[in-house]
Amino acid sequence: MLGTVGGLVGGLAIGAAVGWLAKPEAAVRTVTQIVGEPGRTITTTVTQAAPTVERTVTQYVTAPPREKAKINVIAFAQGFAWPELFGPDGTTETDLLKRFEASENVDVTIEWGDEWAVREKVAADVTAQVGKYDIVLVGSDGAVQAYGYAGYLEPLDEYFKKYPQDYFDPNDVYPSFLDANRIEGTLYALPYYSFGPGVIYRRDLFEKYGAELPKDNWTTNDLEIAMEKILEGLRRDGITDVYPLTMRAGPGEEPTLDLAGFIYAYAGYPAWFEGGAIWPGEIRNKKAKPIFDSSDFEAGFRAFTDWAKKFGPPGISTHTWVDMMNTYAVGKAAILMPSAINGYAALGITQDENVKKYTRFMLTPFGPGKKRINSYWTFSLGINKFSKNKEAAWRVLTYLTGRKSMEAFAERTGWPNVTMRSVLYSYPLIKKYGIEEIEHNERSVLENPAIYFPYIPELDLFMDKIGTTASEVVAGAKTVEVALSELQKWATDLMTSRGYYT
Amino acid sequence: MREEYKLLLPAVCVLAFLVAAPTFYLFYTSFLRWFLRDPTGPTFAGVENYVKLLQSSDFAISLTVTLIFSAASVTFSLLLGLGLALLFSEDLRGKRIMRTIIVLPIVLPPVVVGFTWKFLLSSEVGVIGAYFMRLIGLGNLSLLGDPTLALVSVIIADIWGKTPLPFLIFLAGLAGIPSIYYESAKIDGAGSWQIFRSITLPNMKKPIVVAAILRTIDAFNSFDVIFVMTKGGPGMATHTLPMLGWKVGFYYFDVGTASAIGVILLLIVMFLSMPLIRSISR
Repeated sequence: MLGTVGGLVGGLAIGAAVGWLAKPEAAVRTVTQIVGEPGRTITTTVTQAAPTVERTVTQYVTAPPREKAKINVIAFAQGFAWPELFGPDGTTETDLLKRFEASENVDVTIEWGDEWAVREKVAADVTAQVGKYDIVLVGSDGAVQAYGYAGYLEPLDEYFKKYPQDYFDPNDVYPSFLDANRIEGTLYALPYYSFGPGVIYRRDLFEKYGAELPKDNWTTNDLEIAMEKILEGLRRDGITDVYPLTMRAGPGEEPTLDLAGFIYAYAGYPAWFEGGAIWPGEIRNKKAKPIFDSSDFEAGFRAFTDWAKKFGPPGISTHTWVDMMNTYAVGKAAILMPSAINGYAALGITQDENVKKYTRFMLTPFGPGKKRINSYWTFSLGINKFSKNKEAAWRVLTYLTGRKSMEAFAERTGWPNVTMRSVLYSYPLIKKYGIEEIEHNERSVLENPAIYFPYIPELDLFMDKIGTTASEVVAGAKTVEVALSELQKWATDLMTSRGYYT
Repeated sequence: MREEYKLLLPAVCVLAFLVAAPTFYLFYTSFLRWFLRDPTGPTFAGVENYVKLLQSSDFAISLTVTLIFSAASVTFSLLLGLGLALLFSEDLRGKRIMRTIIVLPIVLPPVVVGFTWKFLLSSEVGVIGAYFMRLIGLGNLSLLGDPTLALVSVIIADIWGKTPLPFLIFLAGLAGIPSIYYESAKIDGAGSWQIFRSITLPNMKKPIVVAAILRTIDAFNSFDVIFVMTKGGPGMATHTLPMLGWKVGFYYFDVGTASAIGVILLLIVMFLSMPLIRSISR
């Protein structure tokens, strides 16, 4: 017994001693990583068991900056834009935001305001060259042009090459939404939610009053005839508080996005300056004068104002996009156009069962100029030229406008007004609208150019003046002839004072 | 330095910093050609901004609208305020509650006043603009869409919101008239109109002038209610000078021209207020 135990113990001891003496020697593997650009070398030591292989692996990795960057964003639409990041109140730091911040080593803060306040703050910041806001909200209807030409926004094309990222794939974005943020080819902002032109209509009202349903290659004549029929039918039924058409014709810049689309469709080109010039250099070189009193401009202007007066609600001359949306949502309009996004917004808030059930989308009609009535706008963000953290700002910017943000937008709102093809053809939107309507939405963006008015630094002045002029005509305060004559004089004086014709 | 001037010095310093310095800066910038978004910065332009304004149809329209709006709003709010004050200075049942209700609009922010009236007068969904107007057969008229009616609407909204101030001033003024005057007049057989014309009005001269000055300044500077209700529309039917100044300054970012509008507004209000102030100083 004792012998057996002693033998076992002795054997174990000898085995342990042999094992200890014969253990393989630990090998060291060195991995060299070069991080970021310019290179920063990190040497990592890894211990592994035999067989020993020593390798050096060189990897080029774009890693987050070592120092945590604070990125300030300014935007409007608090609670509507990016609630998945900033909460429904716009002030919460959600888990998703925290994860993004940790992964990119950034600290994102966002300042909200109403649209006017945001514009003023952006203007103050960029002109004072403070760089308080790293990412600024700019619209494609004036701010991109004004700040891009003034050199207050970072050109972004090089950023795609210098700082590759996985959030925003420019090949997935519809080209026109990027074009809307380009000035003479240079990209200055990335779009978040955006829209192209379309007609939102009530199929039941068309059918009830025998109006021909909107179709792919319909014309403005077809639409006018349809609206006449609907108006006649409504009045015959004694219905005086439902109208064939709702648009926005309030004073200021708002109507001009849509009105410019009418001008484009009727003239066949952006008929604002001689020869259809749209770039400042072009206007200067050709000394292209404004042509607001020409028949080309007048045709589309008259169509817009005539339709608003004849087919729109009585208060249309003060209507903004909110009034336009509300009028459709409460079932008081058969058609909403051409900024169809407001129709989708109406669908989201309506309590009217007929509006929910019978609303459809169609491409806008062709005008006499063989172009469809147009309307484009992008909610865009750009990098402040005076930002002290441009690379970090780029990562945040691409995330805010990237695929995940677009998917969240589409799922939350149910609107098809997204910038990316992959998101437009995603399950939630196809399930909601059907493949045909999604295809129509895609075609509206593919077939219509984003630049259908001049891209000049003075654009927002023109937007405001033209919109106010249209409102005056719709309200009956002026005739088209008088209004356009005054507009022509104003425009010529402005362009002359800005040195275009010297 | 005389003692009284030494005592005034702190107040003068504060006024100089808060009032005089910004006013001088306003005058200074009105002589500059300064587009905030233009990287070249400001340049001296002399009276160019003033000349441009005087030749501008937008300025002429805005000035006309401002004068009409202010004249109507001031006149009717003073008349209404005086009438209500006369009524509620009598011994009426429930007058305390009624006085409180009358004064309520003044505690509302102007933006709230604007939105309230906008929705009331909306020709699509408003109680007045849609339902009442249709009831009386005027459904095809839009109170905010017709240029004349829109101006009347914003004037009414402004009167509604601002009448409580003259009402309170007049109420205090009426309380300060010795009752013995009225007793003597009644004993002498004077009628109501005679009493009003010979006793009430002369004794209310200073409160009326004070209320007129305050209301005039306020009416000329009115912006929020109009902006919310009509944004200066339809067209330019309710587009006042303050709205033009805001648009030129904060939308066009033309600092020089916006400053010139500010100077002109200041001069107009001073021109209107000075005679009134002198009349009560004598």
